[in-house]
Amino acid sequence: MQVRDYLIRRLALLPLIMLGVSVIVFTLTRFTGSPVGIYATPNMTPDELAALEQRYLLDQPIPAQYAAWLGGLLRGDLGWSGVSVAPVTDVIGSRIAATLELALAAGIIAVLAGIALGTIAGVKRNKGPDHAARFFSILGASTPTFWFGLLLLVPFYLWLDWFPLGRSTPDIYSSLAHYTGMYSLDALLNGNLVAFGDALRHLVLPAVVLGFGAMAIIVRMMRSSMVEAMSEEYVDAARAKGLPERLVIKRHARRNALVPTTTVIGLSFGFLLQGSVAVELIFRWPGLGQWVTSAILAGDQATIMAYVLITAFIFMMVNLAVDIAYAYLDRRVVLGG
Amino acid sequence: MSSLSSVEMGSTKQSVASVKWARRREVAREVLQNPLTVIGLVIILLFLLMAIFAPLLTEANQPDPYQSPRDWANIDSPPGVAGHVLGTDSQGGDLLYGVIWGSRLSLQLSLTVVISTLVIGTIIGSLAAMRGGRLDNFLMRVVDVFLSIPELIFALAIAAVLGPSFRNIILALVAVFWVKYARIIRGEIIRVKQAEYVAAARVVGDSTWNIYRKDVLPNAVTPLIVQATLDMGNVVLIGATLSFIGLAQAGLTEWGALVSAGQSGLLAGHWWVSTFAGLAIVLWALAFNLVGDGLRDVLDPKTEGR
Amino acid sequence: MPDQEPLIKVEDLSVRFHSSKGVAHAVDHVSFEIFPSETLALVGETGCGKSVTARSIIRLVPEPPGEYASGRVLLKNDDSTFTDVLAAPMKQVRAIRGDRISMIFQDPGKALNPALTVGRQLAEVFGEHRASVILGDAGIGGAKAGALVRRIAQQRAGALSRGAYSLVSRKKSIALQKSIDDLVIRALADTGIPNPRKIMNSYPHELSGGMKQRVMIAQALACDPDLLIADEPTTALDVTIQARILELIHQMQQRRGTAILYITHDLSLVREFADRVAVMYAGRIVETGPAREVLASPQHPYTQGLLAAIPRSQTPRGELAAIPGSVPHLIDPPAQCHFASRCQWAAPACSRDVPRLLSLSPKREVACLRFEQAADRSSAPEDMPIRAEFERKMTS
Repeated sequence: MQVRDYLIRRLALLPLIMLGVSVIVFTLTRFTGSPVGIYATPNMTPDELAALEQRYLLDQPIPAQYAAWLGGLLRGDLGWSGVSVAPVTDVIGSRIAATLELALAAGIIAVLAGIALGTIAGVKRNKGPDHAARFFSILGASTPTFWFGLLLLVPFYLWLDWFPLGRSTPDIYSSLAHYTGMYSLDALLNGNLVAFGDALRHLVLPAVVLGFGAMAIIVRMMRSSMVEAMSEEYVDAARAKGLPERLVIKRHARRNALVPTTTVIGLSFGFLLQGSVAVELIFRWPGLGQWVTSAILAGDQATIMAYVLITAFIFMMVNLAVDIAYAYLDRRVVLGG
Repeated sequence: MSSLSSVEMGSTKQSVASVKWARRREVAREVLQNPLTVIGLVIILLFLLMAIFAPLLTEANQPDPYQSPRDWANIDSPPGVAGHVLGTDSQGGDLLYGVIWGSRLSLQLSLTVVISTLVIGTIIGSLAAMRGGRLDNFLMRVVDVFLSIPELIFALAIAAVLGPSFRNIILALVAVFWVKYARIIRGEIIRVKQAEYVAAARVVGDSTWNIYRKDVLPNAVTPLIVQATLDMGNVVLIGATLSFIGLAQAGLTEWGALVSAGQSGLLAGHWWVSTFAGLAIVLWALAFNLVGDGLRDVLDPKTEGR
Repeated sequence: MPDQEPLIKVEDLSVRFHSSKGVAHAVDHVSFEIFPSETLALVGETGCGKSVTARSIIRLVPEPPGEYASGRVLLKNDDSTFTDVLAAPMKQVRAIRGDRISMIFQDPGKALNPALTVGRQLAEVFGEHRASVILGDAGIGGAKAGALVRRIAQQRAGALSRGAYSLVSRKKSIALQKSIDDLVIRALADTGIPNPRKIMNSYPHELSGGMKQRVMIAQALACDPDLLIADEPTTALDVTIQARILELIHQMQQRRGTAILYITHDLSLVREFADRVAVMYAGRIVETGPAREVLASPQHPYTQGLLAAIPRSQTPRGELAAIPGSVPHLIDPPAQCHFASRCQWAAPACSRDVPRLLSLSPKREVACLRFEQAADRSSAPEDMPIRAEFERKMTS
């Protein structure tokens, strides 16, 4: 069936693309001062360094070096993170949950708010709410995330002290049993409402800031697909059946307008990943973004390269998931009806 | 259509050209009818003037005009105090100076990146589409790989590897952004290739280059122009983020770097540095987004339906 | 039939559309009647306003940019009073739509929601208008009617509503769902759809064009309406299916006594199925009468032109008699006969006044100042001054 073929093709391409990404990352590592620096831990003796160079074939031609590097990668050796004073793979494990939690929260806010606002804008086309939504959407696309974060920090953190920086209050956090690594989820799984509240208080501001840009894109897409859906014949047909307008909008127009919007949702995840760099920096959120920003300042190449690989992988997986969801939703297109 | 013009001669050729110009005037008029687009154009014009006439507006700092002059007697002073219209940062750097000279950097950044990526992307995309076959396949896989890394993160890595400097930010962005244009032009060429009037042109005997020049490019220009306009804004946004994170040299009068410089002051209540520098970024990006949207509404037949 | 009271009285209906180019008079002081159980055909070319007129009967024209500039649409109630659809509160209009007056649309592929199963779309109609029946069949009494039934109708036909459990027992909600399903299946089966249970759970794109139209018909006739408005019901279908669908519609009409308003440009449909016909041109009605009579002896020059343009087997090759000229645009139209510029019988008076509908007989009306000349084809029109101008235009 067409769906399956399409998805199989996508899945088959995935390793190829990851390979391509690895080539790019490898090329970048050869641009740094010393390729061996990625693997070098502090206080290594010259002998140990020489041994490393041997191991990664750094005296051999480039293709061999790539093979050695890739081999190391697949074995789980991504080098040594200078800023975290630990192997890269260890750090990823501990930080990825934080970033994912933030991205998910931001994503949920962006999607829910975006769909709601976009629907209103599409239905009340060219009237007040529509203009407001479009203005808001274009503003969202023009505002740098880092600046927006700072802008919200001042009133909400500095003046009102409603929301704290960082991810958690240490005492409360450590009192939990950690299942998923995501603070809010773990708090729920522990049944600990105080912890859950603490998690949310820390999560709200960075999630809103991060989600703002993505929300702008979703509002835009939702609005235009609602406008299109509302002008379809089946909407009139539904009215001709005597259905109340509310139902016509919700069940007939919006359900169809959501389908093209799912593609944008996948795209906006990329924005969330990118935005997390600045947001984590500003809000002192202990995720991958904060990690890479300190790596940049310290010249820690291993971290930066690992970050590229991880984010590319996550991004591709999310896109694949969205494509699957889209293929499932738009049966009409896929099954060729 | 246009492919026939090679067969025509004399006065008819002239009327074809004048029709083209009449249409361009028509488009311009339609674009200007949208008040939002006009606002965007005005803002762009203001920034342009600011950037070009920077040395006249404020005296260029020596030795490096892209470092703010420091007034050590008046650090962290609020707007309007001691002759600093927008205030100073924690090192006494005048913010108005920063914003004005920062506009030069923004102009430099966006123009360089957009023009370079347009050219590179067009060449590569055209090559891929016109040659087709294995070359096309290969290049498109390369594009896929590039697209699977989020833009900012990719540029971040490149700039970090090359070393923190404004010039490296430009290079990094060029390396990342060209794929967009390659894809657009390739899509357009393939679309046109399949169109009937190209087959007609071939029958008439037009060379590939002529077809490319007369049938493909004019049609591809539209999405390219829209994307380029929007990217003039996007590039500055991403560039500002990169310098905010620390990938530009210290003390640079780049808007993102200025926001970063004002960060520490924020928590002490000195709001103006980050705010005004950030506002400059927002206005710049907003202006190009408005114009880009306005252009898209007019040029793209599949508009959102106003 | 004309001795009865009409079911629908459209009186002086005018509908205008506001656009950046001006105000278009899509429907211009149109009046006609529809009698119970009769089939009235509203005929005209694309853009003449027939679709807008039809939609106005259930007030379906979007009110910006549209505007009901004048007139009333009177629907006769059981107690012999009339409701003006254009003035009634929307709640009342919605109660009428789908229940007393239904509509089927030109392209069933577009008029059915692709995201919902066919059964669910049908269930919506029942849920909206027959809630008490459904509840009664399921043995549920009391005030929980509307919202509950709507909630059940929200689920895929054949599936159970989880939300209903909180309001009634599980057994009752199963009964409720069954009650709805039975109605849906019966409605589908009535239109001759084989295997209605399977169709009920299908999506529109899984069905053929003819099947989709049957579903539309089933949906429209679900609540036994007094009037069925059919907007070009066969235009989007294959020729072979067209006939079957029309037969179906008429079968159902015989069984239930529904009145039908056909919107069409297909005169053969008129000849076969319509009792009466009203011809529209440029937003106005130009001729009405019993279908056979109008087709046999058209009085209005436009109608004559339409009939003459139908290619027949006897038409010699190479001679297709089209009506010269084109429909005038409807923005700020001048107050005159809209057809004058294309009419070979036009006189100066035609460019000065709007011709009113005249009664030629109790059943026939025509809106033309020159119908006598037009009818008498042997009279030579060359002496008419407009004629020369007309000829010149046609030969340039």
